[in-house]
Amino acid sequence: MITIALSKGRLAEKALDLLEAAGYDVSAGREESRKLILEDEKTGLRFIMAKPADVPTYVEYGAADLGVVGKDTLLEEGRNLYEVIDLGFGACRMCVCGPVSLKGKLDQIPNKRVASKYPNITRAYFEGTKKESVEIIKLNGSVELAPLIGLAEVIVDIVESGRTLKENGLDVLETVADISARVVVNRVSMKMKESEIVPMIDALRKQVAIKNAQKKEEK
Amino acid sequence: MGNYRFHTPDGVIDILPQDASVKRKIETDIRELFSGYGYSEVETPGIEYYDVYSSGDYVSAEDMYKMTDADGRIIALRFDGTIPVARLSATLLKDEKPPLRLSYIENMYRFKKAGGGKLREFSQAGVELLGLQNSEADAEVIALGIQSVLTTGITDLQVSIGQVEFFKGLADEWGLSTEEELELSTAIDQKDIVRIEKTAERLGLSEDAKEILDMISNKFGTYDVLDAFENKVNNARSKAALKNLREILQVLEDYELIQYVSVDLGMLRSLDYYTGMIFKGFTYEIGFPILSGGRYDKVISNFGRDLEAVGFSIGINLCLTALRRQDKLPEFVEVDAIVGYKEGEGMRKAAFATAKELRAMGNKVIVDTEHRTEEELDAYAEEHGIDQVVFIEEEDEEEDS
Repeated sequence: MITIALSKGRLAEKALDLLEAAGYDVSAGREESRKLILEDEKTGLRFIMAKPADVPTYVEYGAADLGVVGKDTLLEEGRNLYEVIDLGFGACRMCVCGPVSLKGKLDQIPNKRVASKYPNITRAYFEGTKKESVEIIKLNGSVELAPLIGLAEVIVDIVESGRTLKENGLDVLETVADISARVVVNRVSMKMKESEIVPMIDALRKQVAIKNAQKKEEK
Repeated sequence: MGNYRFHTPDGVIDILPQDASVKRKIETDIRELFSGYGYSEVETPGIEYYDVYSSGDYVSAEDMYKMTDADGRIIALRFDGTIPVARLSATLLKDEKPPLRLSYIENMYRFKKAGGGKLREFSQAGVELLGLQNSEADAEVIALGIQSVLTTGITDLQVSIGQVEFFKGLADEWGLSTEEELELSTAIDQKDIVRIEKTAERLGLSEDAKEILDMISNKFGTYDVLDAFENKVNNARSKAALKNLREILQVLEDYELIQYVSVDLGMLRSLDYYTGMIFKGFTYEIGFPILSGGRYDKVISNFGRDLEAVGFSIGINLCLTALRRQDKLPEFVEVDAIVGYKEGEGMRKAAFATAKELRAMGNKVIVDTEHRTEEELDAYAEEHGIDQVVFIEEEDEEEDS
């Protein structure tokens, strides 16, 4: 039995599509119900529907063998996992954003206050990459408010279209990381269930390669 | 403010009778195993000066439990078994002729780091084989590691063996800087194929190099893996690493333990610590390795003695958890027999004598301390699941004294 942790919502749907295309029967995972564990004895697959931020935790502890989760969550959670496939979907960017007037002047503000839903990513970027100490203010949503109302100079957040930013007079100042959905595997499962997991990874990789090739053609 | 009177701190647990008895049994069996291979047990202090751990830059400050002593010096709770033994072998044992075979079974204390699953206090047993640098020594330590897991009753065991010199040789050959080496090795260790490919691209590695990187992430096995790489690499360092692994496998065949191991050249953790072969052991139902070891020839030089070192540790708490989840915990009996006695001259003495005989046969025996009648004693035994009831009604005439 392989246990797969999925992030509830759109990401789960896409992950199931991909598994199906790779030749797996995922009807259990599609069952419309409020059940949190969807198991199919026949196919040997068990899906658990978790909050995205919890997927890396389930996989790190081995409660799930495999997980599909956004790179943003992986960076923020910093778990000890194998990160085997970039699925390509759910693509967006993690960025430092702030008032348009700050463009190109980010480094000139001393003792910055940075608001974010992602305090660990923020710390790693400013302390690790930029070698700069900042005050991090953890928020839980509508982070764009912070620079508008004077709670922080800049924010670190996910940017998809950038529309919310524009409408509020904000813009991307720096890119922290490119984000997309990833397949992660527990380090022990990879060894103990190699005969089931490795073929699954190979099959998924093939599907991703096909998808990427199609995308290129469309362009 | 909270009142924590009823609680244990985060990451530490009470161990109840059944677990405690299995844990002690495991520790006893492993201690016997180690001593049977000529490893002498040492006890190092539960607290060390912080400098002992910080000297080699292998342990980060955040992961240690730290305090100050009465003179304001920083001390740390025992973080691992290897570094104190390294200190010991370069100080009190500095005149001992190598090779040294030392072992320990101790509680370790760590924040965050996953050495004990997610526990912050956990028991580890381990060995250090000091002053030898050959494949036989490497294999002896792996063999002991495997056997210590089997000793606990776990039968499903997978041991992955790697060799950090293999990658370090490639990094040399490809002219990578220290940062580039770290970046690439981290991606390999996480089996992050995308990042490996991107990094390889950015570093301008050749097609041959990329093919080797792809093989590192995808090839597992034994001799076949070594054969495949043998034809691909040209630098002496990587070739020596492959030779070391081949010899280790051959020795493990003679130990008749080859069936537990496979080669994984993508295991590249702590490159500044390990200097040769590394290995990790896994079993079902537990998401963390239960066994971890390798060669770290530079650790003891931090303490001023040049002594090669290879060793491993096994997580006792993790094994216990694995046994429970695999439904392999031995049946636990608190008490096998209860001995009661009738009121009267010499009866209690006879009861004690009977209990002593039963204990000598390996039984767990309690003597009734509440003056129960025979019927009451039967009822008590029934209620508490005690198999055997002995009631003394007359003095034991066979008694000598």
